Formats: sequence, C-alpha cells, structure tokens
Amino acid sequence: MTDYWLSKLFFDLQAPGAGAEYRADRGKVLARYPLADEVKKALLADDVTFLASRVNPYLLRYYFGAAGMSDEVFRRKLRESKSEVQHG
Amino acid sequence: MAKFVGAFAASHAPLIARDWPLLTEARRNEMTAAYRELGRRMDAVAPDVIIELSPDHWVNFFLDNLPSICIGVGDAHEGPPEPFMQKFPYRPIKGHAALGQHIAATALARDFEPSISHRLTLDHGFCIPLWKMELASLPPLVPIIVNDLEPPMLSVRRCFAWGRLLAAAIASSPDPNLRVAILATGGLSHSIGEPNMGAIDEGFDHACIRAFTDGAEAPLVDFLEARMAGAGNGTHEVRNWVIAHAAAGNRGFDLIDYRAVPEVYVGCGFASWRV
Repeated sequence: MTDYWLSKLFFDLQAPGAGAEYRADRGKVLARYPLADEVKKALLADDVTFLASRVNPYLLRYYFGAAGMSDEVFRRKLRESKSEVQHG
Repeated sequence: MAKFVGAFAASHAPLIARDWPLLTEARRNEMTAAYRELGRRMDAVAPDVIIELSPDHWVNFFLDNLPSICIGVGDAHEGPPEPFMQKFPYRPIKGHAALGQHIAATALARDFEPSISHRLTLDHGFCIPLWKMELASLPPLVPIIVNDLEPPMLSVRRCFAWGRLLAAAIASSPDPNLRVAILATGGLSHSIGEPNMGAIDEGFDHACIRAFTDGAEAPLVDFLEARMAGAGNGTHEVRNWVIAHAAAGNRGFDLIDYRAVPEVYVGCGFASWRV
C-alpha cells in the first residue's frame, strides 16, 4: 500500500532547510499534511516497520536521514523490521 | 547518419561522493582507477554528445507525475542538488537539444511514448560517473531518465526495444559528422531502504556480467526477469545497462572492473560494449 501524503512528506523533506525545520519541530511540519493519526504516531515514534510498508524504500531512507537517524541505526531498525514481520 | 562510437556502463552511489574521505586509500585508488579507465575509453572515442541513461532518485519526478522514460531535449540541465555533490564541476550541464529532439521524434514515429523535458535536474546517478571519469571535457548530454525506482517499471524486453530504438535514432540523425556515445549508469546489485539494506549479491552480479559478456538477448532477458528483483531494489537500474547493450547490438561487452563495495552498499561494475 502506497501512502501518497506520507510519501509527499518524505519527498518534500529533501528541500534545502526542510530537514532542519522537521528536526526542530516535527509536529509543525506534520500538521501541513493530511496524514492518518496512526501514521503520525508512527512518525513520532520512528516506527520503521510501520512506515516501510507504506512508502518507496528510497524515500524511507531519505526520510530517516532527514530526521537525523544515522545509517547504522536505520539499517539496524530495518533488520529488526524484517524479523518482526517474519515472527508476526 | 551520425556515428555511434561507444557504449559504456558505470555504477553510482551517493556514498561514493558523501563518504569518499572515509574510504580506505586502497578502496579510493581502486574506484578511481576504474572510473578513470572508463573516462580514458570515452575520451578515446571523442564523442560530440553523450546519451546518458540513469534513474531519477526522486528529484525531478514524484508519485503525481512518474514517467517510465523521460528524454532531456533542452540545451541545458541543472547539476545535482544533493549537498554531497556541491563540488560537481559542470554547472549548468550543457544539453544537446537537436539530438534529444530527434530521439524523441524517432520514438514517437515508431510507436514509443516517451515523456520529454526541456530542463532536467541531473542527480548523483547521472553525475558521479561524469565527475569521477575525469573526462578531458564534458560534451553535451542527452539525459534519459529511466524509472528504475518505483513499480511498475519497463520490462527487460522493452528495454531491449528502447536500445534498438536509440541505435535507430542515432543512425537516422541528420548530422552525418556527429559522434555519439552512450553511458548507462546504475547497478549492479544493491538494496536501499529494504531490510537487507547494504547487501550485495555477488552471485547475481557475476552471472549478470557473464550474460552481458556473452551478449545473446534471450538468455539475458530470462536471467534478469528471473533474478533482478530478488537482488535488491537498486538492482533494477540494470535496465539502463540493457538499453545500452541493445543499442550496441548485443555484441557483448568488456568488463573493466567489478568490485563488491560494501562501504557504499553497491556491487560496482564498469564496462565498455563492443560496438
């Protein structure tokens, strides 16, 4: 399932200055997008497993980079997401 | 009739630019040597224009407007916007409008339906090879964006058709003295933003290289249709190599270098086709 507005948020965060604004105040930026409550909750919780099922993987990577997560932590969370899916 | 003088392939990866200082000296030397050899071969055929095939990494296009193929038909294009590409030396990037328009017209006349753009922004996919090849001078480009990122994507068989179309467009170009080269960027195996991000499928890569080296169309199509999707989402960029391969007449290629480079998450391949 592709979540258009979640994808649009991730796409928009590539713009100059957008990542810094998001890191400073996530809630302010999220208010501009018609996101479902469960999606906002996942964003605020850095829930990689939930978000990964809704966006293109490249956008997912851009997003967590813009949000300030290191590649090392992102990759660990991705591996954990695979484990979570496998173990249900 | 323009002259089709060469076809080449090179991998790209953001980390080749962003993390270049973090790579070991040995790794930097290996990659520099491969890109330079590719550049030497490109310079040797002295192209007046390069048709470059690359994906768009969510720079020009988004889900509200996502062409399968977009031909750059303008006389200039923007350089890469990524912060780690600030030192890219060619801005703006000169385009070859006449050849771009001719390719687009040839495509439409032969029942292909490309999108066109008069000014693209060329991201790291296009620009890392152009930068690292250290060409004597950068000739004008006809950039062609191939959707390798978001399904649905071109079938491998359709990529062959696009390659043959490019060859026909070059052959029918009205400028008899124009020297045209093709550069395909992307691949080989890599996985980005997936649970196995960073994994490189060396078995796939070596089998892929063998299939390109042998050249025959049917085995290459069968192999890629069966294996490409399972080798990581970034591996879809091999479609660009297929287009170059078909444009060059399926005569196989000479591998310049292949290395699995886990530091940049990519199985890096460099090759020149027999044209």
